This record gives sequence, structure tokens and C-alpha cells, in this order.
Amino acid sequence: MIEFLAATIRIATPLALAALGGILSERAGVFAVGLEGMMLAGAFAATVGAWASGEPAIGMLLALIGGAAIGLAVAIVAVRFRADNMVTGLAVNILSLGLTSYLMRIIAGGGRPVNIHLTPLAALPIPGLADIPVLGRLLFTHPPLTYVTALGCVALTLFLGRTQAGLTLRATGENPEAVFASGANPLIVRMLAVVSGGAIAGLGGAVLTLQQVGTFTDGMTSGRGYLALAALIVGRWTPWGAAAACLVFGAAEAFELRLQSFGVPVSSYIIQMVPYLIALAVLAGLGQSSKLPASIGQPLQREH
Amino acid sequence: MLQARRVRLKPSGLAGRILLALLLSVICAAALIALSGHDPLAAFAAIARGAAGSEHQIGASLNRSTPYLVAGVGVALCFRGGVINIGAEGQIAVGGAGAAATALAFSAAPAPIAIVAALLGGALAGAAWAGVATAIHLGRRVHEVLATLLLNFVALLLVQQLLAGPLGQFGAGFLQSPLMPRSTWLPRLPGFDAHPGFLIAVVAAAACSFVLWRTPFGFALRVAGSSRLAAAYAGFSLARLTWGAMLAAGALAGLAGGIEVLGVHRRLIEGFSLGFGFKAVTVALLGAMEPLAVVPAALFVGLLESGSLAMQRQIGVPSALVTVIEGLTMLFVLVATVARK
Repeated sequence: MIEFLAATIRIATPLALAALGGILSERAGVFAVGLEGMMLAGAFAATVGAWASGEPAIGMLLALIGGAAIGLAVAIVAVRFRADNMVTGLAVNILSLGLTSYLMRIIAGGGRPVNIHLTPLAALPIPGLADIPVLGRLLFTHPPLTYVTALGCVALTLFLGRTQAGLTLRATGENPEAVFASGANPLIVRMLAVVSGGAIAGLGGAVLTLQQVGTFTDGMTSGRGYLALAALIVGRWTPWGAAAACLVFGAAEAFELRLQSFGVPVSSYIIQMVPYLIALAVLAGLGQSSKLPASIGQPLQREH
Repeated sequence: MLQARRVRLKPSGLAGRILLALLLSVICAAALIALSGHDPLAAFAAIARGAAGSEHQIGASLNRSTPYLVAGVGVALCFRGGVINIGAEGQIAVGGAGAAATALAFSAAPAPIAIVAALLGGALAGAAWAGVATAIHLGRRVHEVLATLLLNFVALLLVQQLLAGPLGQFGAGFLQSPLMPRSTWLPRLPGFDAHPGFLIAVVAAAACSFVLWRTPFGFALRVAGSSRLAAAYAGFSLARLTWGAMLAAGALAGLAGGIEVLGVHRRLIEGFSLGFGFKAVTVALLGAMEPLAVVPAALFVGLLESGSLAMQRQIGVPSALVTVIEGLTMLFVLVATVARK
């Protein structure tokens, strides 16, 4: 059972971190379809950074930068030039897939992907707390980025709910004209939100490479960015809600892995559909009374 | 409001701006090739030779362009009407499964009937899958992008499930259907190593262009795309327009999947259409949502992709470069065409 819960948390962590980045973007009014590309860029940058420098911390820093770079592309095309958010997101996902695969092959020269094997980050038991019988193993014996994710939930909740900047960000997602009237520039707010959201999602990608797999392969996020997008919808654009949704998705996947090992005749494909079906059901249930930020996806127009 | 300047550009300049966007992404690609220590011009020459150097290679490029073109004109039709349908990825996969199931059921029928039935089966399956998204979108007011995007993943898993069950070949070791009956194989065009799918695709593009520019439905769709308010004021039913565009796009995507299954693989294979739906969006964008202009756009992407494999073999520049060019082109074209709104 503990194994199952631990697997749930492990699978949920990269999703949750990416979802936090997505919340920042969507609450400011920009659809976060580009999460997949941001995660992938982060995963790539983290691997190469940690491999080249021997320092996981450098890898994490580069993951933030890699994700932010994809975020910047979205910010320029979708916010500054007012292109369709969704199609822009799709475009950066394709770009990120191509760029990471390409760079991985030219780093070493010779056209073959460079062979990288990193030691995954070890668990850091929190002194004292980790010794609590069951809970200690479950909650306080994790690799560093898992704690970062939990702290990120707290920080983002406080930021959105308790700070002036968070209020401005939420207002930009709901009613950018009001933000403009109050003297702030919603264009800048959106761009900053998308870029910093990208950085966080990039770190989510780094969880995969630095903490779990130890290497980078082409397109290794394989849809996790979209899953994170589904999670933040299911979690109704709140950090804790999204994290809970990620845990549910993680549990579904952990459950599926168990089933496979026990040979239970329930199709793994059907179980893998569950997260997407839940997201659709939640969206359908929300209907028009949705918690979707009111001005999301709408370009900022000059007033006449 | 804000610094975003409202730029008004004449539609006549659109083709020029799209070509400029294309040129910019090619320049970026050249820089990336140089970064890898190779000569960009030699790499581009290798792409050109690999894409169109022989009849065999031209055929391969045409086959490659076909699904992008068929699905891309459907996407263009939707975008024209302001319906952002990014569900082609799933609709193609479901269409391929529909075509395969029909082909297996029609194994005793003579060739022309079996082929037509199988392609129709694919188109119907694709349209049905688009119908599910449309029903969720209109019935429950879920944003169409989210509905189509989420259903893409469900569709891919559904096809895998079908291949693991009723449509699968027992004991194949991986997920694939049995070989399609020979009567359903698309013939090869004499002289070229291509199936006639590209011809079907060009006819589909012409038909969509006719619908868009010469029919009341197309007119209403274009009005709705420029202004929902104007369309509602003119008395057009937005729901009916959305249904029409989505079902047409779904049928086209399904047809694309069917052509790929019957013309290229001759069986349904897991992941046979991976990324095709997103490429369809790329070519629709590159063709400025103009069905006839999607033809050269799809040809460009198809030629580029089949040429890049030769480039990788001969010069050693990774073929992933093509994906970079596609992503960059989409971004630049988005910026270049945004003033149209």
C-alpha cells in the first residue's frame, strides 16, 4: 500500500509542478496549451546542464530558463501579437519537440543523441519528521523537487490570494480593462505570468529527468503537459485543487502499473483514459458557470 | 489600449507575409545546421534531392503530404468559421480504425466497392468522433479546443484498445491489425510509387474551396469567422455552422486516416498517425486557411519531411530539424497573419 501511495506521489510530482505553472498563465488569461513544450524544454535543459556541469542545481536553473524561453515565445506570439493562444501553444510544443531532439543530437556531434546517464537525485529524509512510522516514509522522505512542488502549492496559493501582485494577475485574467484603468499594464502582466509559468513548468520537466529517469529521450514528456493542463482544469484553477487532481491521475497510473504486474484483465488503455474523461466531465459539469478566468484566450484590444 | 498597435494590412499582402515567415524559419534552420557544423546549403540540397530526386521519391513525398492535406483543409474550414478544431489528431486515428474495420468486413466485395466502402467507413468514424466533441462543446459549453484536445488522447487510447481486442492480430507481438484484404488496397499510380490519395486530397481541397466561396453555407461560415455578432445578427445559426464545419472536418480527417491505412500500411498499426493532426493545423495555418492554398503548404511539409531523411543519411544533420522548421513556421505565420482578425 505504501508502495502504491509512494508511486502515486512520484507520478504526480512533475504533473503538479507543471500545473502550477499553467495556473499562473491561465489565471492571467492565457491558455496553457504550451505546458508540454515547456516541460520538455525543461527536461532537456536540466539533463544537459546537470551532465555538463556535474551539478544538479545547474540543471535545475537551466530547466527554469528553458521553460521560460518557451514561455517567452508564447508571450510574444500569443500576448504581444495576439495570435490564438491554443494554436500558439500547439506550435511551441512542436518547436520544443524538434529543438530538443535536434540539439540532443548535435551536442556531441556525429548526429547521434548523446548518451547521458545521471544518478537520480536521492531522497532527502527530513530530520525528525521522517522517523514518524508510516507518514514519515510517505510524506517526509522524498527527493528535493517533490518538496519544492509542495512548497510551490503553498507559495502560489499565498501569492494569488494574499498579495497585490497576485490580485493584479487574477484581475488581468478576469477583466483586463479594469487592470488598465487601475494603472497597471495587463500586457506586461500576462507576458510575465506566461514566462514565469513556463519556468515553473520547465522545472516540472526537470523532475522527470533529474529525479526519476536520469536521462533525456525524444519527446519524453509524452503528453504529461496536456495531463497537467487537464489537472488544472479539474482542480478549477487553484493550486491545491490541481495538486489533488494530479494525485488522482497519479493514482490511476500507479493502479494501472499494479494491475499489469498482477495480470488482472482490466485494460490498461481504459484506465489511461480516466484522467481525460474526468477532465471532460468536470468541464461539462462546470458549464457556463465555469470558474474559467473570464477573459481567458481573448486578445488585449486597444480601446476606441 | 496598450502598446499593441492595431496594424491594418491589405489581404493582398498576405501571401507575401506568409512567404516571409517561411523564409525566416528557413534562415533559423540554416543557423541551426551551421551550429551542428554542417553546410546549410549542402543540407538543403540534400533535402531537395531526397524529396524530389527520383520518381520513387516524388511518390513518397506525395504520400507523405496526403493525410496532412486532407485533414488540413478540414481544419482550415473550421478555423475560417472561428471554430478552433485541434481534434484532427484523434479524428484521423479513429478514421483509420473505422476504415480498417470496414475493410475487414468487406473482404469479399470486389475492389472498387470495397475501397469506397472502407474510405466511407473511415470518414464516418472521423465525423462521429468530431460529433462527440461538437456535442460536448455546444451541449455543455465546453471550449472547443479543450473538448477536441482531450478527446484526442481518448481517441488514441481507444484505437489501442481496439487493436488489443477486436481489431488486433493475435500473437503479432505489438499492436496491429491483420493485413487488410487485397481488394481494399489503394492501387499504385503507374510510374510513381504513390497511391491515388493525393488526387483525392486535391479534389477535397477544391470541394472545400467551392463550399467556402460559392455556397450559402460557406458565406455564413466566413461571416461567423469574422464576427460572431454579425453572423447572429444576420440570422445564421452558429450551432448549425459549427456542426457543419466540425462534421466536415471530422469526415475529412477520418478519410485521411483511411487513406493512410489502405494506401501506405495496408493494416492498422498503433500510432500510425502520430502527429498528423497537428501537422494538419500547421499546413492549414501555412495555407492561410484557404483550402486551395493548403495544397502547396501540405506539399511543402511533405517534401520537407521525406527529404529530411535523406539529409540525415547523407550529411548527418538530424532530421528532427524538420520538426523545428514546422514549429517555427507556425509561430512566424501566426504573427504574420494575426492582423487578419
